[in-house]
Amino acid sequence: MKTKKILSRACLIAVLLVLAVIALFPILYPLMSSFRTDQEIYKYSTVFSVNTLWPVEWTAQAYLSLFTEYHFARFFINTLIVVGTILPVSIIMCSVAAYAFTFYHFHGQKVLYTLLLLTFMVPGEAIALPLYQVISGLGMVNTFSSMILPSLANGLTLFMYCQTFKDVPDALLEAAEIDGASWLTCYARIVMPLCVPTTIAMCLMTFVNEWNNYLWPLLAARKDEVKTITVAITAFKEENVIHWNLIYSSSMLSAIVPILLFLPFQKFFVSGIAAGSVKG
Amino acid sequence: MTRLNARDKRSGMLPYLLLLPVLVFAVIFKLYPIFYSFVSGFQFKGAVSLRTYELMFADKTFWNSVSVTVKMNLIMTPLQIILSLIMALMVNANLKGIGVYRSVYYLPVTISMPVAAICFSMILSYNNGVANTILGSFGVPVQGFFNDKTQAMACIIALCTWKGCGYWMMFYLAGLKGIDDSLYEAATVDGAGYFAKLFHVTLPMLRRTTLFVIVADTSTNLLLFAPMKLITDGGPRSTTDVLMYEAYRQAFKYGNYSKGSAITSVLIVIILLVVLLEFRMMADRDR
Repeated sequence: MKTKKILSRACLIAVLLVLAVIALFPILYPLMSSFRTDQEIYKYSTVFSVNTLWPVEWTAQAYLSLFTEYHFARFFINTLIVVGTILPVSIIMCSVAAYAFTFYHFHGQKVLYTLLLLTFMVPGEAIALPLYQVISGLGMVNTFSSMILPSLANGLTLFMYCQTFKDVPDALLEAAEIDGASWLTCYARIVMPLCVPTTIAMCLMTFVNEWNNYLWPLLAARKDEVKTITVAITAFKEENVIHWNLIYSSSMLSAIVPILLFLPFQKFFVSGIAAGSVKG
Repeated sequence: MTRLNARDKRSGMLPYLLLLPVLVFAVIFKLYPIFYSFVSGFQFKGAVSLRTYELMFADKTFWNSVSVTVKMNLIMTPLQIILSLIMALMVNANLKGIGVYRSVYYLPVTISMPVAAICFSMILSYNNGVANTILGSFGVPVQGFFNDKTQAMACIIALCTWKGCGYWMMFYLAGLKGIDDSLYEAATVDGAGYFAKLFHVTLPMLRRTTLFVIVADTSTNLLLFAPMKLITDGGPRSTTDVLMYEAYRQAFKYGNYSKGSAITSVLIVIILLVVLLEFRMMADRDR
């Protein structure tokens, strides 16, 4: 019995390890390659050896030239402008709406809630083409507004706050209202401070989603002045097919930000996913 | 959902005002585009007409895209669901350091699909790609991967499965954590082995999670775009030309917006059906 248990443990660990290698290889190999020269990548690609995977001579030249020759700082700043505007506005707008849904009773409440729920369940990618025609009708193509405005009303954020607000004890609000507090005081001083974990989770989800967004910025922002990082690296790949180390390093540059956010804040990501949809 | 208290009578217009920004943005940037795509699909050279749809339904390219989309989803979605369930069962094991595996499996989720697509296209390049180098050391001849019409779809499925499984695994993990331990204890007392418990306790208890994952995964996979845009361009020989990519290509490559809109409308209808199903499931759960 005991040997059987040890054996099944060993099998489990073996499978876990194999899967971990599969999960990591497509990230680690580009990471390694981004620190080498093109010549080196080609040289060791014909016959397999340790040097196929591990750099002989480490160099950060690719990263340097992305910033000095290819203006990657510009794309980073653009992305930060877009995400930096969306984040606070979207969080405030959606949490205020959730506040109205949770703490008030009004005509048409159920209809409005259902309508919003249904609308937000249609993924953004599905409406990208018609949205482009709307945006271009408004004359907003190739502006920051075209990337910011459509992302402000966020279904996931709205419904997550609705879920969290339900657990705020009513007595707290009633006490505050007896003291003559306005809705703004109740929202900003009582309700929001109680929901900090939700706010962190939603900030992270929004940040990573916007950072990784591709189809919409590809359509809406094609000029360099407004291009975001994800679109920039894909365009870069299409234009510089021969410079593998540059392609790898630009990809890693874009990947590192969400990975660095995920590692310390895992807990919030997981709660964001689990609550976002399993609870509805 | 709503609380009835003193605030209701005095609030008046206030709740509507608080909702207004979200409503305005949702209507302009979500609801209106959905309508717009249906309307512009019914326009042909400025007049109201069914011509766009007639042309689309008579078009071989369109039907090829339908069949590619269906085929890809029929393979990819079940594969991803089974794999993510197995992964969730494994990382739910009581083992030291299991949290590390959980994070590692989730890592592909955090990077964007375009970056993942670029990395895969270089690793799986027929020309100097490291996958061919490694296979070569085992004596396997050079493979075409994304350039081979028999392998391209499989490679895209591999890419999406690599990137997607960690995400769905987390839902299953949440579901597994929600199963009451006493059920397993009772099953153990009855002499059930690992697989008996899996099939008679775990899987039935995960039914709702599975329903959700099927719906959510299907709608994600239906809208797959980046790999085709960045790697295959729908090829080789249109073997990876899914509806989403065909809609983009019609609108932005050939400037045929009404055809793009018509294809988008077909996709939106499919997605709406999936969404309604999801909605029904949620209503069932609330009951």
